[in-house]
Amino acid sequence: MATPILSIENLSKSFEGNQIFSNVSFSVDQGELSAIIGPNGAGKTTLFNLITGALVPDEGKIIFQGRNIVGMEPFDIVRLGMARAFQRTNIFPKMTVLENIVITIITRLKGNLRFVKPWNSSRKIERQAFGILESVGLADKAHQLSGTLAHGNQKRLDIGVALALEPKLLLLDEPVAGMSPDERWETVELIKELWNEMSITMVFIEHDMDIVFGISQKVRVLCYKSLLAQGPPSEISANKQVIEAYLGEEV
Amino acid sequence: MDHMTSSSRTQWISGITLIVILFVLPVFLNEFGRTGEYWIWVSTEMIIMALFAMSLNLILGFGGMVSFGHAAFFGVGAYTVALLTKKADLPLFLALAAAPFTAAITAAIVGWFCVRLLGLYFAILTLAFGQLLYMIVFQWYTFTGGDDGILGIPRPEILGPTNFYWFCLVLFLICFFVMKMIVSSSFGLSIKTIRENMERAKFIGINVRRYQLLNFIIAGAFAGLAGGMLAELNRFAQPDFLHWSKSAEPILASLVGGMYSLAGPAIGSTVLIFLKIFLQQIHPSMVELWAIVLGAAILVVVLFAPSGLVGLYQNIYKKFQS
Repeated sequence: MATPILSIENLSKSFEGNQIFSNVSFSVDQGELSAIIGPNGAGKTTLFNLITGALVPDEGKIIFQGRNIVGMEPFDIVRLGMARAFQRTNIFPKMTVLENIVITIITRLKGNLRFVKPWNSSRKIERQAFGILESVGLADKAHQLSGTLAHGNQKRLDIGVALALEPKLLLLDEPVAGMSPDERWETVELIKELWNEMSITMVFIEHDMDIVFGISQKVRVLCYKSLLAQGPPSEISANKQVIEAYLGEEV
Repeated sequence: MDHMTSSSRTQWISGITLIVILFVLPVFLNEFGRTGEYWIWVSTEMIIMALFAMSLNLILGFGGMVSFGHAAFFGVGAYTVALLTKKADLPLFLALAAAPFTAAITAAIVGWFCVRLLGLYFAILTLAFGQLLYMIVFQWYTFTGGDDGILGIPRPEILGPTNFYWFCLVLFLICFFVMKMIVSSSFGLSIKTIRENMERAKFIGINVRRYQLLNFIIAGAFAGLAGGMLAELNRFAQPDFLHWSKSAEPILASLVGGMYSLAGPAIGSTVLIFLKIFLQQIHPSMVELWAIVLGAAILVVVLFAPSGLVGLYQNIYKKFQS
């Protein structure tokens, strides 16, 4: 029986009197691959920002692996096993693709305070890094400056950086945004493959309903400051409220 | 791959050649009597200021933090040497060894507040702390000698101009290789990562403030050593060592030399000091033109060689190879 890896309890947040969430509660089961959908401005990215510690909620609890992480710094939450990839590519542009991954592995291994040995002297870390680049399809570009990669590849690297943290929970914010149709499906396949192989719990935000209903086991709909519905894709696509509030415009 | 090893071999050969030339330089200069002795003094100052510029660049170029208060740590180092040798009668070597520590402690206190702020706010706070320390030193007559400074720092018999030059050169080379080690280490890569994208750095688990503070302290320690060396060279310490205009010197040196390389700031600093003294040698009144020359030099660099002299050299080198 699956146990929740993440539980959101009565989460509320407002900006300057503007209520973004009120009393949102849900939980994410261990090992699930699920999507969060909702109209623009529904607060999907804000939800990720709250979960990862970039923002602090006004009220409520966020329980990650049995521990309330509200008020913790983002880097401490990362160390507990939560990683995210960003909607707008968020990498280290003037560093090589390999360096992007290596520093992430070094940080995961708490090796940042080594002052003597060159960072590139560990063959073990390099092998691990190439393993990750292999899995996101960037091994042949390892020595290229990451800022010079094509947009799609930068997004893949962003996912690679998140994977290098060996997370238990991975939050993907519109992983295929801005990609060409071919790249989109390639990346979707990649995500599904990674999920199959690595037993990571994945939650992703996406606008493309074909992708959402194509790969997720569970869909959550954010709307009107709260969680409008959650359930398996078949249930959500038939939910009257969801169709009225959100899907109706698109489907 | 062959390419890289051959270019790193030329790097090694030119580096060792340069070191040999630097060691032999005073022997050559000594042939020229008083003028030669003056140039040994100038060269020693160049070495010290090169170390100061490199120390700032640990936070400026590698860390991406603009500090306008770096001279405070330089000055603390200088006064450490001045006070310990004059008032506590400590030997120079011990006083010099203490300089990086007192500077590091000062940097730890100042940095603890400053790294809480970002960008311009960080820069302004470093400026404020720097000027605060300057004012303390300027006015505390009973301890620091106020605006008179501390004069007559003793010099061990053995350290004549030439020996002191060599002594500073050896210290500089040690610091150079220690800094090289630091910037190529995991810590160095962490610092660069923060410079590249501070937000993302947090989301790969880097405690950004902690590493910025550590880097700030390390940079302060090297600045303190440089300050101590300058106090001994001049045989005095004065409040000007902490003044914000002193903080600007390594910034300009890094800009001119190139802040994305280790040696860039050292080269920039040396070139600027040479230009200034060259003007002075043409005619003493020419020094008044220094601000104009400096401004023109910075303008040329910013417009035509934004990555400094080192970047310019690398571009030319690449063109030659292809």
